Formats: sequence, C-alpha cells, structure tokens
Amino acid sequence: MIGAVTDLNNTREVQFFRTRSENSRSLELVTSVVYDEHPEKHIWETGCLLRCELPIRLPVYFPAKNWPDAEKMYLRATEAVVAKFKDPQVVYVVETLSKASTGVPQPVILRGIELDFDTALSNIKLLGKDAHDSDPKFLSCAHFCLKSKSDRPILSAENADIIQLSVLLNSSEKSEKSSSPVAEYIPALEEAGLLAVNFKLGVLCYAAKEIPVMYAVSKLIIPGLVDQLNSMKNVILPNLLTKHPQLCPYHFNPPGVLHPITVIYELNYGETEMKQVDIRKSLHLRLGLPSDRPLLRIANALDFSTTNDSARNDTIRKGSTLLKDVHVGIPISGVPGGIVSLIQGSYEYYHYLQDSFNDSGWGCAYRSLQTIISWFRLQHYSSIDVPSHREIQQALVEIGDKDASFIGSREWIGAIELSFVLDKLLGVSCRVINVTSGAELPEKCRELALHFENQGTPIMIGGGVLAYTLLGVDYNEASGDCAFLILDPHYTGNEDLKKIVNGGWCGWKKSVDSKGRSFFLHDKFYNLLLPQRPNMV
Amino acid sequence: MVKAVVGEETQLKSIEDRLSQSRFPVQAGLVIGKISSPLERGFVFDLVPTPPNDAGEPACSLLETVKDEKKKGSKPKSQAADSPSLVIDDDWVAEHARQVARMLVGGMKVVGIYIWVTNDVFKNSTIMLSQSIKGVAEATPLLQTDREERLLIHISYSPIRWTCRSCTWTSNTTSSSLQPCDFKMGRVLTSLQTFKCTYNFNLRLLVCHESASNLQTLSDILRQGISHHAKELKDAKAVIDGNLVLNDEPCTLDGVHEVELLLPFMKDTYTEACSRKDALGVLVFSGSVHAFAYLNSKEAISQAVSDIKGDIITSLQSRLDIICDDAYGDVWPKNDISPEASDGTSTDKPVSQLVLHLLRKECSLPFPRRVFVPWLAGTYICDYLQPSETLEVLKDHCVELLSMEAPADASTILEPEIEAPSLVTKSFWDVANPFHSVSSLPLEKSGGHAREENRKESTKSDNVNVRAAIFFLLLSILVGFVLYVVRRSR
Repeated sequence: MIGAVTDLNNTREVQFFRTRSENSRSLELVTSVVYDEHPEKHIWETGCLLRCELPIRLPVYFPAKNWPDAEKMYLRATEAVVAKFKDPQVVYVVETLSKASTGVPQPVILRGIELDFDTALSNIKLLGKDAHDSDPKFLSCAHFCLKSKSDRPILSAENADIIQLSVLLNSSEKSEKSSSPVAEYIPALEEAGLLAVNFKLGVLCYAAKEIPVMYAVSKLIIPGLVDQLNSMKNVILPNLLTKHPQLCPYHFNPPGVLHPITVIYELNYGETEMKQVDIRKSLHLRLGLPSDRPLLRIANALDFSTTNDSARNDTIRKGSTLLKDVHVGIPISGVPGGIVSLIQGSYEYYHYLQDSFNDSGWGCAYRSLQTIISWFRLQHYSSIDVPSHREIQQALVEIGDKDASFIGSREWIGAIELSFVLDKLLGVSCRVINVTSGAELPEKCRELALHFENQGTPIMIGGGVLAYTLLGVDYNEASGDCAFLILDPHYTGNEDLKKIVNGGWCGWKKSVDSKGRSFFLHDKFYNLLLPQRPNMV
Repeated sequence: MVKAVVGEETQLKSIEDRLSQSRFPVQAGLVIGKISSPLERGFVFDLVPTPPNDAGEPACSLLETVKDEKKKGSKPKSQAADSPSLVIDDDWVAEHARQVARMLVGGMKVVGIYIWVTNDVFKNSTIMLSQSIKGVAEATPLLQTDREERLLIHISYSPIRWTCRSCTWTSNTTSSSLQPCDFKMGRVLTSLQTFKCTYNFNLRLLVCHESASNLQTLSDILRQGISHHAKELKDAKAVIDGNLVLNDEPCTLDGVHEVELLLPFMKDTYTEACSRKDALGVLVFSGSVHAFAYLNSKEAISQAVSDIKGDIITSLQSRLDIICDDAYGDVWPKNDISPEASDGTSTDKPVSQLVLHLLRKECSLPFPRRVFVPWLAGTYICDYLQPSETLEVLKDHCVELLSMEAPADASTILEPEIEAPSLVTKSFWDVANPFHSVSSLPLEKSGGHAREENRKESTKSDNVNVRAAIFFLLLSILVGFVLYVVRRSR
C-alpha cells in the first residue's frame, strides 16, 4: 500500500509512505520519488489490461413460503459461484485481444487445478523479457502483448495491450471411474419456486507485463470477479422476488485519470432519469471530473470489440462515410496577433447532395443542423441518429411550428426553426444573436470567442441569406481584426478533403477580404444560433 | 453433394467374394460410413446385410412375374416384361438401420443402403430404392437436417460391378434425385484418426405445475432436457491433447486423441424460459458418457469435435430410446394408462413412463451403460447394457445386426462406464441448488426446525459442559487451597 500526505498550508510538498506487506502496520517514508512527465507512457509500456467478461445465469430454487430461507438459498448459491471460480474444473482461456489477424499469440488455457492462490503478491517471481517457457504456467503477460508496437502510440487505455480471459468449465476432467448416466427425481416436500438470477460480470484489471499470467488470473481477475459478484448480489437481494435490477459494468477512461475505471449501471432506468443522473454526478464529484461533460455516459464507455467489422457496421448503419473535422489543417486566417477560439470536439461535415438527396438551393440550413447534431452525437450527449430533412420537417410539424404540408416540401428553415428542432430532438437550448446588418458581425467576435471557450458548440449562421456553420473565430482584441471559420453546407462535390479545403468550402473568412469584398452582406440581417452545451453529466 | 465415394478395400472385397459365392439372387443391407459435405466425399467402411425379419422372411426378395412365387403375400405391382421385380421390406430395413445406428460411435453413420441384384432389376426399382433410403434416413437422422443425402450402392453380378449413386432430397419435398458418383476402393479404415472423450454432466431439470392436458412422463422431460443440452454442447469449446482447438486444419498426429469439452461457466440456459416458476420437484440427470469419434485424415479437426459432441448426444438419446423400447415391450393393463386411474404412480408402470408431477415420491432411472466392442481395423462400435444384462447380450447384437463375429475375448471389450449408483436419499434443497457441497442448512420444514433445535440444544449442552468444567476447576483450586491452608496451619 502507498499513502500520501500533503500540507496544504505550507510547502504543499507531497510525502509518500508505504507499507511492506498486507498485514504490516508500520509506515515507511518513501525517499525517492520520480515525477514522470508522461506517466501514461510508463504505465502502458510496462503494463497491460486484462479483461474478463462473464455472464452468469444462476438458477435458484427457494421455498415459496419461507422468505428468510429463500434469501439464504440465494446467498448460498452465490457463495457457490465464488467457490467455483477456484474449482479445479474451471478453465481460463487466455488470448490476445487484437484487431490484427496475424502475428497474434496463440491462446493458452490455464486450468483451475494449476492456479496458485496462496503465494503472496509480493513473492511472485517476475519474469524477464526473454523468459520463454512453453509451460503455460510460466508465461508472462508480455507473451500476449503485441511485439510490434513501435508504429502506434500506446499511451492510452484504448490502445493498450489487452488480454482477454474467458472462464469455462471443463466437463471432461478425469475421474477414477465414471458411472453411466442416471436420472433421479426428487420431489419438493413443500412449495418451491425457481428463479433465474443474471449476473453480467465484466472485470478490467491492470497488470505489469512481467507477472506470470497464472498469477494475474489468481490474484487479479478472480478477486475482481468475486468483488463484482458480491456487490451485484447485494443490490439484487432486496428485489430478489420482484424485478431484478439489470446491472451491467462499463469501463471508462475519463481524461485526467490514467487508468480505466469500471462503473456498474442499472439498465432498468433510462440514462437521463434523475436517479441515474445523480449517480453520475456523484461519480464525477468523486473522480474530480468536470460537471458539464457526459464522460461517464454509456456511449462514452471503452469499446473493446475486437473485430473491425463493428466499425464497419457502424458506417453501414450511418449510410455513408462522412468527413470529420474538415477544418483541421487548413491554412491560417492571417489575422495578425489574433487569438483563435474553436469548437471543442468533433463533428461530421454535412453538405448538399449527400445521401443522393438533391437539396441544392434550399437545404443548407438543414445540413447545418445535421452538422450540429452530429457534434452532439460525437460528444455522446445523445445517441439519436442524425435526422434527415424529412425527419427535421416532421419534428417541426409535430411541435406545431409548421403545417403538415411542410413535410416533403422544399421550404427553407432558419435559425429559429433550428433551435426548435434542437430542443425537441436533443433537449438542447440555444442563444440567438441578431444583427441587422452583416457589418455588425465583427462586433460580436468577443461574444463568439467566449462562446467557443465556454460552450464549444458549432454555431449556425442564418438570416436573410445563405446559411453557414461557424466553427471558430480568430480575433485580435486590440486591433479589432477578425476572421470567421466557416463550414459551408453549399458544397456539392464528393467527400474529397482536398477539394473542400482548396475550394474554400471550409476555411477562414475575413469579414472584408483582401479585395475589399465583404463576406457578410451589409444590407442583410443575420441570426446566429448558439447551441448551449447541456449542463449535465 | 457427394461426388466421389471411397470404399474400404479389404472389407468390400471380402463382401464381394461372399456375395458372389452365395446363391442369393438378391440381398439388401446398410452402408456404414461417413459423408463429408465439405469434402464432397463419401467414405464406406462396411456393408451390413439386413437379417431376416421376426417372421424369418428376408428383407428383400425377387418376385418372378411369371412364376408368381410370392413370399410376402403381396401382389407384384409392376408387370415388367421379363425381369422379376424387387420387393423390399422398407420398415424392416429402417428398423435395422435404427438398431445399427445405436451401435455406431461418432464419425460413423448409416449412410445409405446397398443392393445386390442384377442390372435389369436395379434399373426398374430405383424409385422403390429411393423410398427405402428415405425410410432409413428417417430412422437414422444425421442431425444436420434440411437437406438430406444418402448413398445407394449397387453391386451387380455377372459381371460383378460396383456403382454408387447419391440420393438427395430436401426435407419439405417428396421428390429425390439420384446422381451417379465416382466409386473406388481404397484404404479408409486404417487412415482413420481416433478421438475419445469422457463427458461428465450434471443437469437439473425443473418439474413444474402443468396443465392436465400436458402431462409429461419422465422420459418426455429427459428427452427435452437432452435436446436442450445438445444446443448448449454445440457451442462448447474443445481442447484436444491439451491444446485449444482454434483453426480448421486437418489433424496430422497419429494415435488416440483425448478431447476435453469446455462449457460456459455457470450459464444455465435451461431456466432461460422461466423467469419465475413454481417447482414441484427437480429431476437430476447426471453421469458420464464415454464417446468416440473417427475422423478421416483429410477432414478438418473441427469435424471431429462436432462428431464427438454428436456422439455424446446420440448416446444419451439411444439409451433413453432403449429404456422406452423396453418399457413398451412390457405389458401393463391398458386401463392403467390414464393418470386418474393410476395416479401416474402405479407400480406396474415402468419408471420411464411415470408422470412426474403426479408422483409424490422419489424415483430413479438408471441408464444402460455403454460398452465398446472392437470392430474393423482397430475401431470400436458400441452397445448398451441394462443393469440386469451381461456381455452375452451384445454378442447377439453383433452377430445379428452387424453380421460380425462375436468378440471371442471379453477382455477386448472396453467397459469405461460403471453402473449408475442406486438412488441415495437426499433432500430436495440439497439437490436443487447446484454446485454447493451438501451442507446442513436447515430448510426442510419438518426436519429443519428439529435440526435447529438440535443445534440449540447442543450449544446449550456445550455451555453446560463448559460451566461444569469451570466449576470443577474452581472447586479443585478451592480444595487445593483448603488443603494447603490446613497443612500450613498444622
């Protein structure tokens, strides 16, 4: 164990203490502490993740008329599961979780009978890098880590080496003499019931690569499974005979936390229900996470699905391969001494003619809305699909803003309609800035910069003329010089980043360009729609 | 679709000799072998003539249209000009197939029928032969359904010639097609790979309240349980000789391979359907099955795994069939079948036919044990022995059904399974919840309280003992002290 103490009043120096063994009561001061500039580098280079998913379906017979005994039967059944983890019959299959199909080490099986539960963690012999033993008992975790990792950054949990463990029962273990099958009927002497209790266990452990896999199983995975089972067991117990809570573990790697964390959510409630929101809020508080970012929503959970086809399915479902974050790497604005304020997070570029839908000449605001919704999707505020033009019109009809004839029409929509749709589909509120002339827009730059700093959402520019999406501003407060990062939905070409950037469909626009032309027309009014980042977790 | 068939040379040559020396104008029987759909090949291990039926009549005969010497008492249907017409007792051949299939282990199947008859007769009777094949297929389902395929081997005499056709049909159509396929002789049996497995299982089948119209007997529940378990077993991972089976390469190593089957950890799918049910009792179905599977060296190793899984399930089903066959063979008064009359608990009834939720007492049904008898080229076939039966029974089976020589030496017979233990009285609660050691948690209503009281009493008496001990200790100190004082005072 390691503990740390700091004096908040004086030096603010952190002092570390440690105990030598689990039972020791004496603390020693750690004298040499290395502060690594990139701790994640050390963590993921010397360690790996072990993952074990284990759905359990436990049948429990209980006396129908005797509630305390039913509880006892249930507890006994779960105790039996715990004991079973260490049973000689259990087999742990260890394999590398990798997207690559070649060069992956062969899976290895570890039998329960071979596992060692007695050796203290501090006495485990670490295996060097070159330890190569064919005996699976002495394979190190490093054996299952991919060798060729120079070509990719491994500095996060997502890219770490992951070892997958599956728990199976060997039904062919040898016994002295096996007897032929027999069926025995035992009637219940009193009224009895049967219920099936589901446990969906999912454990993620961090292990140094040098420790033998065998000990990673007996010292990390099994205790992890037992802990999780016990905590789930206790939650289910009060509701044993009614509706069982649907507990499911998720792993997250929130920014600022080096290692992944596991949260068990109850899925019977929707994520937005107050109870769940409160749970997330308190978790955010305990982990010191910002209280307006949905970091612990299920959509943000680490995704360990191995096969590439899950990603492929995703794009198939979305229907097309849209370009993301097209503004990255475009030429600079050329505002001398300006401070750039950009949207925070990713978006997809929606523009004319996508999905073979001809909206040229009328659909620009719809496309801008789609881009904004994609931003909310990609930040995991929502999991709804980006709505089509028709669905947007449908939403406007449903709230009573438009007549039914509006559906399927080619009518324009503006900033106000966008705010209605955002409110209806995402529950997102918006601020609107009106300017009567395009010439007034540079005056709003400070306000817009503030928006990008605090909210970081894409802004829709509508009004008397064409609709645009605003992704950022570059503003020199002293000189008043400014430029707008415009994403233009009027692009009609294919998804070619070069073409888009060279054609200026995504780029910095000065309000007055070098030739003296104004980007924002002076005789037109403009409405700026500023979606507010939901203050929620 | 089978395109080429290889027959075991040594075996088929001796059959050819036997047939050509015999004076039978016609003989029908079963083809034992294996059909590999991925390889589009068939392998023939042996041909087994169907014995005469219970009335002593041969399974197939020729009806001379002119002489009209009827053996089966049925009139010839086709009045073909010259050639006599073929008559096959389809039901009998199918029954033979059913019995023989029970004796085969994994990777060996009844894959069709053969016929020894002249070319002319054969040409006139292909439709009838297709019917016989379908009857055989029905009696010996090959598990992977929807499209059926069996072989029809024709051995014609003068000159002796072997031809093979593959007969295919889909389950929903009545028409079948006969396609000729390449037939040659070669070495099949000696190149087989042997896989063996001991499979231990322990199922708990729920017996719950049912409507009166849906009365299930013990064997019904077992049959359901077995077919449910078959699905579970299908997904089991396999370890062969200590290595996890991953890829589908052919197995290259010789010798007997040990298969271990790994099932999901405590994922009871049997209770899946019931969220909460009232249990009347529990049927514990447990024991071990010894299984074998034979694999052709060209086949993928995953085939051996699925064959051995198939063998486990078939073995359980066959045993249950044998029990039920015996039960039906026994006669019991007809009026006793209605559960009202007998309460389903009549002692006349065989255990397998008991209606469990009318039965309020424990019962036990031991399954026959499986024994393995050496067959051709070091392979084994199997047979089942009821608790009362001895090895003599299987000699009869071997001779009659497989027309092989009875094993002379009983020591060559493998008997890996011991007889099922007789019922040990256990309480429902100890049995119903799996995976816990039988402990003494008081739960039964009657016995429970008594046991609890016992426990209290014992702690009470313990207390008494401790108190007594302390008392005696104090007393002895006191006495010692008194003595000491008395002595000092002297």
